Amino acid sequence: MLKLDNINLFYGEIQALWNLSMEIKEGQIAALLGANAAGKSSTINAISGLEKISGGKITFLGKEIHKMDPHEIVEEGIIQVPEGRKLFNYMSIQENLELGAYSKRAKKDFKKNLRMVFDLFPILEERKNQFAGEMSGGQQQMCAIARGLMSSPKLLIIDELSLGLAPILVQKLLKALVDIKNSGITILLVEQNVKQSLAISDEACVLENGRLALSGKADELLNNPHLKKAYLGM
Amino acid sequence: MMHIIKKNKFLLLLGIVALLLPLFVHSKFHLNTLILLLLFATIAGAWNILGGYGGQLSLGHTIFFGLGAYTSSLLYLNYGTSPWIGLIAAAAISIAAGIFIGWPTFRLKGPYFTLATIAFAEVIRLLCLYWRDLTKGSMGINIRFEPGLSNLIFREYSSYYYFALVLFLISLAIVYWVDRTRVGYYLKAIREDEDSAETLGINVTKYKMIAMVISAGLTGVAGVLYAQFMLFFEPESVFNLNFSIEIALIAIVGGMGTVYGPLLGAAIIVPLNEILRSSFPALSGMNYFIYGIVLVLIVSFMPNGLMPVLKRIPKKFKSRKKVQVSGSRKKTAS
Repeated sequence: MLKLDNINLFYGEIQALWNLSMEIKEGQIAALLGANAAGKSSTINAISGLEKISGGKITFLGKEIHKMDPHEIVEEGIIQVPEGRKLFNYMSIQENLELGAYSKRAKKDFKKNLRMVFDLFPILEERKNQFAGEMSGGQQQMCAIARGLMSSPKLLIIDELSLGLAPILVQKLLKALVDIKNSGITILLVEQNVKQSLAISDEACVLENGRLALSGKADELLNNPHLKKAYLGM
Repeated sequence: MMHIIKKNKFLLLLGIVALLLPLFVHSKFHLNTLILLLLFATIAGAWNILGGYGGQLSLGHTIFFGLGAYTSSLLYLNYGTSPWIGLIAAAAISIAAGIFIGWPTFRLKGPYFTLATIAFAEVIRLLCLYWRDLTKGSMGINIRFEPGLSNLIFREYSSYYYFALVLFLISLAIVYWVDRTRVGYYLKAIREDEDSAETLGINVTKYKMIAMVISAGLTGVAGVLYAQFMLFFEPESVFNLNFSIEIALIAIVGGMGTVYGPLLGAAIIVPLNEILRSSFPALSGMNYFIYGIVLVLIVSFMPNGLMPVLKRIPKKFKSRKKVQVSGSRKKTAS
């Protein structure tokens, strides 16, 4: 579904990604793992078109997308739920969700998608008129995921789902991700919490210093001694 | 339209007062202040679309204002073109300048747009100052006093007042439209978090350009009114940085990103400026001193401007009323 082929990314003179290649298959949850500054956010920003790559190519459903602008990539069906939620705090939940349905495809399915996200996260319907900034961290993350789903995505990229959230809330959100996957949406989950993300993922890639260090089936990686030592302290 | 009026009885009353005002106000000073108030409310309203809704801080809005004034006046003086047509030409030239500035700078993140507006305003000012063959440089543009509707020159100040009122109402209607449509929604999203808006697929550059086109066009048209009202202007008066800052301040004081904020800001700042100027003729600079203190106080205690504070008053009043009603019910029940 999504293929990164030898991509390089620079911030000025600093190289963040080095000949990175990876593939995400349709209908799966793929985890992108790595420590701080491993290049996870750079990778997803390159996929979303927020950062332009200087070498290699990115293809989505057979179409080259690395030269497209972010709004064109959303139109293709890729949406990113950014790190730290980045909701519009002075807008209501409903308004945030409406803004998620910007793409032409999404406008058509607005009512259906709205019902779907309210069923997935009922608290959002209860508090739809409340300012997003007044919600708890967990509710804000739900709203951010729901806003992403409002765009009728084919690929949902979630950056640091568990950041600043209580473990019980993370569990709840991870369960919701499985429901989203089962509805036919592919998910790329970017996380530092290796154990929990691998538990729900089908495949995973591990980045180190902007390079691909490991990749494979999630359950195999969970038993990988290198990964255990480096990230799980086992 | 009717539902807007029904909702806003106060505004309807204000509209009637605005229509009848020249029948009761005969002093030229007061009418002059009212015309300037409406003119500044129009320009600040136009600025508000880009700066208040879109979060693009322009400190060179005089570019469009001055270009509007020069375009229509030069067409009128050199080719006898009616200022009515000049209004369209002024809007077109201002829009073209807006696109010229916005196209490269809107794609960049950071303060580039603000810096570009300041720099461009200075370039245009110097161009008008030294391109004497066309603009008469620092001698300025003198428009002959030939009263007539076709020339947009009037003997009575009240006529200018009504023209300014119509222009202001048009700008108010446009801001209202922006506020209530998706354009305003997307602009607010861009203002709140540009990166986030981009990840949602909002075409950030496109909506900034839409805001720029509307804002520049309206400001250019306001420049024509200024030229036809003053009948004299020069580069220093229409491309002045202080003037640009004042436009932004009016919107900031009134309430950025609100429909009526610029009107409220203009209703405070323009009369204050005029009164202070006429009150301290001997003490040069005293008006700026007091003006500065008032602005610092407003911005310090009401960083979102006056409009959000005013909006909260009826809500507080209603909630107090509810508390009183429920309190008296409890007493009756007991």
